[in-house]
Amino acid sequence: MWKYLLEKEFKQFFRDPGLPKMALAFPVLMMLVFPFAVSMDIRNINLAVVDNCMSTGSARFMEKCTSSGYFRLVDLCHDPDEAMALMDANKVDAVITIMPDFDRQIGTGKGFPAGIKVNTVNGTKGSLGAQYILQCVRLYLSENGTGMQAAAAGIDISEKYYFNPTMDYKLFMIPALIVIAITMITAFLPSLNIVSEKEAGTIEQINVTPVSKTAFIVCKMIPYWVIAFFILTACLIIAWAVFGYVCRGNILWLYLFTVLDIIVMAGLGLLISNYSNNAQQAMFVIWFFAMVFMLMSGIFTPIASMPDWAQAITYVNPMRYYADAMRAIFLKGSTPVDLWYDAAGLAVLGTIAVTAAISSYRKSE
Amino acid sequence: METNAIEIHNLTKKFGDFTAVDDISFDVRKGEIFGFLGANGAGKTTAMRILCGLSRPTSGSGTVAGSDIWKEQEKIKKHIGYMSQRFSLYPDLTVRENIRLFGGIYGLRDREIREKTATMLEILGMEDAADKFCSDLPLGWKQKLSFCIAQIHSPQIIFLDEPTGGVDPETRRRFWELIYAQAENGTTIFVTTHYMDEAEYCDRVSIMVDGKIAALDAPSSLKDRFGAASMDEVFRTVAGRAEREDQ
Repeated sequence: MWKYLLEKEFKQFFRDPGLPKMALAFPVLMMLVFPFAVSMDIRNINLAVVDNCMSTGSARFMEKCTSSGYFRLVDLCHDPDEAMALMDANKVDAVITIMPDFDRQIGTGKGFPAGIKVNTVNGTKGSLGAQYILQCVRLYLSENGTGMQAAAAGIDISEKYYFNPTMDYKLFMIPALIVIAITMITAFLPSLNIVSEKEAGTIEQINVTPVSKTAFIVCKMIPYWVIAFFILTACLIIAWAVFGYVCRGNILWLYLFTVLDIIVMAGLGLLISNYSNNAQQAMFVIWFFAMVFMLMSGIFTPIASMPDWAQAITYVNPMRYYADAMRAIFLKGSTPVDLWYDAAGLAVLGTIAVTAAISSYRKSE
Repeated sequence: METNAIEIHNLTKKFGDFTAVDDISFDVRKGEIFGFLGANGAGKTTAMRILCGLSRPTSGSGTVAGSDIWKEQEKIKKHIGYMSQRFSLYPDLTVRENIRLFGGIYGLRDREIREKTATMLEILGMEDAADKFCSDLPLGWKQKLSFCIAQIHSPQIIFLDEPTGGVDPETRRRFWELIYAQAENGTTIFVTTHYMDEAEYCDRVSIMVDGKIAALDAPSSLKDRFGAASMDEVFRTVAGRAEREDQ
């Protein structure tokens, strides 16, 4: 019986006008487009400088900033109002005002006579921009300053970044993007597929046969599981071939956590289809879950910086555990022993989802 | 050996306050063609879905093909064929693939499926269309194919829910030839229809009105009882008493 059902599902999958193409396009988009698009590296901060000193010192400072690679000098203004107008027009993100006595004060070592204004409409960009400017100031002072500033700059904080030494955001996002792709494919596509059989009435023809519900559902999901592993493999290959990223840990563990995630998602997908009578309803529920899962998973924003109540919600988000595990394995080379917590989270959620799904699935009303 | 394919006692199905099927009782004998008539919304399809194990009754008892409608729904499903009002084969599978799928589901072996497919295509005269997608078939062909697939596993009873709706008269006649051929093999046929000429073909008919069975007998006896010349007249007399709104 299984053989015939599987045959049917695979035939239908490959005959679908969109699905096979999507399965191919997904990993490519995920690996070649999205890592650049979702990167939170802040570069090209537009900078305006109001140089009231016009000395070699101030010029050298400006050069320090622009050569850091983070800033793009948009304009040299003559008065602060002009610079402010540029910021209001959203043409610049930061304004540095250099005081007339810049050289002298640096020379005497009394302070750093420059003002910094940062546009923080985009908070991340603004605060990072300010950090970068301060870094440039520190750098400048350590080379040119005397006295107090030199001493202040001397308290050099030596930073060493582990696991992702170049702070490459792409490397950080790639495991997370795989997580998103696999969740979408394994939870939501099968659920839409089941609902569309409901709409077409074909599920009724199946329901009057002695087919067991497990056989029907599992056969429906198997093609998507195959696609999920195909996508995982393709993504890993692309990450290696294009970016040179290699998984630090054992690749088997990536697959293991993917299996755990797939179980949770299968249950969830089936649950959605059990309670939806048409594709529209299902789409809405799917959209809701997709949003919550992604935004509350720690993929884009760290969970630790969420308020307590939001952190509490993340505990029932399977994507939280899956994303955490995939990143840890990929970037740090963690093993399931280190990640028992994520494995347990997925196992508990999976048990709940699958039990709820099977008990709510009815062949008859 | 029992002589009844279906035995139903006091069957009721409620949806909230609405009683779709109201305390009906009837038997269907083995091998007969049983016409299940009624206006739209009279409760035919609901009753039929219960008999097929697609729906559970609110109360009442009964057996279909010797199995209990409460406890043995899955057992019933092995011994019945069902053809619904809507065409419900897979449109994105070919004729041959649909036959193969349902054959497989009912536990036929590959060799049996191949033989069945060949005979079926021959009966239907669809050899040339075997590799066409079902979505591309004309309605009449679809219905005949659905019927053949409903009896692929040689069930004891076949349920047909308005099998000839929207089909031209010639195709309808052919369709009934298929039904007769099947009935001659000893299969019980349980059919709902809106065509009263089709009702004349049945061994016995029941007429449902407002969820109840208002009349049940052989077409000739019914005509005698109501002094009517045709089943059409009988139906209008009986169903004319309906109080429910036509849906």
